[in-house]
Amino acid sequence: MTAVLTQPRPIRLKGRSYLALTLTPELPFEDWLVRLDDLASRSAGFFLRRPVVLDVEGLEIDRTQLRDLVGKLGARNVRIMGIEGARPSLLGADLPPAMSGGKATGDIEEPAAAPVREAPAAESVAAQPTAPPPAKAAPASLVITQPVRSGQSFFAEGDVTIIGSVASGAEVIAGGSIHIYGTLRGRAMAGTLGNGAARIFCRKLEAELVAIDGFYRTAEDLEPGLRGKPAQFWLEGETFAAGSLG
Amino acid sequence: MGKVIVVTSGKGGVGKTTSSAALGAALAQNGDKVVVVDFDVGLRNLDLVMGAERRVVYDLVNVIQGEAKLTQALIRDKRLESLYLLPASQTRDKDNLTAEGVEKVIGALKTHFDWVICDSPAGIERGATLAMRHADVAIVVTNPEVSSVRDSDRIIGLLDSKTLKAENGERIEKHLLLTRYDPARAERGDMLKVDDVLEILSIPLLGIIPESMDVLRASNIGSPVTLADERSAPALAYFDAVRRLRGENLPVTIPGEKRGFFGKIFGRKAA
Amino acid sequence: MNLRRFFFRSQSAPAARERLQVLLAHERLSANGSDLVTKLRDEILRVIANHVQLDSEKVNVRMERGAQVSTLAVDIEIPLDAGKKAA
Repeated sequence: MTAVLTQPRPIRLKGRSYLALTLTPELPFEDWLVRLDDLASRSAGFFLRRPVVLDVEGLEIDRTQLRDLVGKLGARNVRIMGIEGARPSLLGADLPPAMSGGKATGDIEEPAAAPVREAPAAESVAAQPTAPPPAKAAPASLVITQPVRSGQSFFAEGDVTIIGSVASGAEVIAGGSIHIYGTLRGRAMAGTLGNGAARIFCRKLEAELVAIDGFYRTAEDLEPGLRGKPAQFWLEGETFAAGSLG
Repeated sequence: MGKVIVVTSGKGGVGKTTSSAALGAALAQNGDKVVVVDFDVGLRNLDLVMGAERRVVYDLVNVIQGEAKLTQALIRDKRLESLYLLPASQTRDKDNLTAEGVEKVIGALKTHFDWVICDSPAGIERGATLAMRHADVAIVVTNPEVSSVRDSDRIIGLLDSKTLKAENGERIEKHLLLTRYDPARAERGDMLKVDDVLEILSIPLLGIIPESMDVLRASNIGSPVTLADERSAPALAYFDAVRRLRGENLPVTIPGEKRGFFGKIFGRKAA
Repeated sequence: MNLRRFFFRSQSAPAARERLQVLLAHERLSANGSDLVTKLRDEILRVIANHVQLDSEKVNVRMERGAQVSTLAVDIEIPLDAGKKAA
């Protein structure tokens, strides 16, 4: 503990979410692998360099079968970065880690049925069956109309707006910015999904901790002049900036 | 159908049991039928504060386990005949409190009494969550002191999520009862101010009970302060709280302050 | 006003001490399962139940634990035809 505290630059621990391709194998695996091979043959390298998660929810398999499947996928250049929906007993140190809390996004399109050919350069621009970039839906934001009580924790991928106060011992975590129309006495963490442009606003500052994109300030590091006043926080490059509001 | 009140706080030693007994006796003095239920299984104290400790035959756990009928376990107060006590078990483990058992007991008490006051144990564990589960109204007992205020805030959060009312999407009525308020320390500025506590917790104020020797004396002799010394400052504050609980719009006075000034500020907030 | 109340009242601490002594004496006994009053209560009810079918709604048990003397009052309503059933 003391060693950490005396380090001038703490390690930044951040959460970040990524788009991964999810494969849901079906039993018997042999047949499923045949279909997968068929898909792969239509688009060489479709799985190459893509993060792939294996969803085994509801499959009646044992660890040997799972390890075997992961091995066979590996032989096809499909590297599994994580396994979802598996009983803890199925997993081990030799298998990819368990993943949970995934959210469905727009389906990743299958490669076009026609095999990709060497096409004339002019044509290829339009016809290239590149996987479309994931549709960027606006991340869900959250409006909380009640005070956030000690011990409570709220999270939204987008902005979080709180009409009341955030109590000491409560925390609000947002992928975007945090707006608090009451007093901030607890913790507010904005831009946690890697958004350095996120800001924190509050009507009255009594915070225990504020953080943006992994950079944080505790109550002791906050400018004393801002205490009890309307305040905002943002990042200037890698430095934490604070200022009064209004 | 009676009203179920939970007296809760999160933190221990802030005055839940004293307040349960005092409010119960004050409500019963108007002739309402009142039962005060001790949920602190293993560490019962309500019987002592109400002066019934020598007369406990059966307890809440006996009733839940089917070893005694509810009517057998209820102890009638010697001074007020419409005031009853349902003691907690001192010897049993609190795992004996089951959700179904508590539901049955509270359901039965509601049909017989006008007010069912549940004296919650400290903490946020089983005993405390079961005590608040069936409440229509919550009285959050808080001392003007940082750790008590934070624990109260935590409890308010639980009231808004773990009670039946909350689960059914209704709002549970919550009131703040500020206890052990010391006017001398407030004068010196060594105590959290009433409006600070109100601002932080943002629930309506039911009353302010001054720190007083009368409370200690009352528990020494085993009598709710509203019975032991009806003219004492804490008793008067509890009587006022009861009037607000019944829906009267009575301005709250801060002990040691002139009546009226703060009444104007808090009068609106008082429930 | 407080002074007058202060002088005209008896001290409450002795009352507290006496109440606690009686209570703790009984609680220590019942923790060993050897509290006489509780034992009597359970045994009396058991014996009566051997002879009469008890309606538990009609049984009223009262206890008063004192320093020197404890009292136990068991009030049982016995219906007229109860004896027949038991016989």
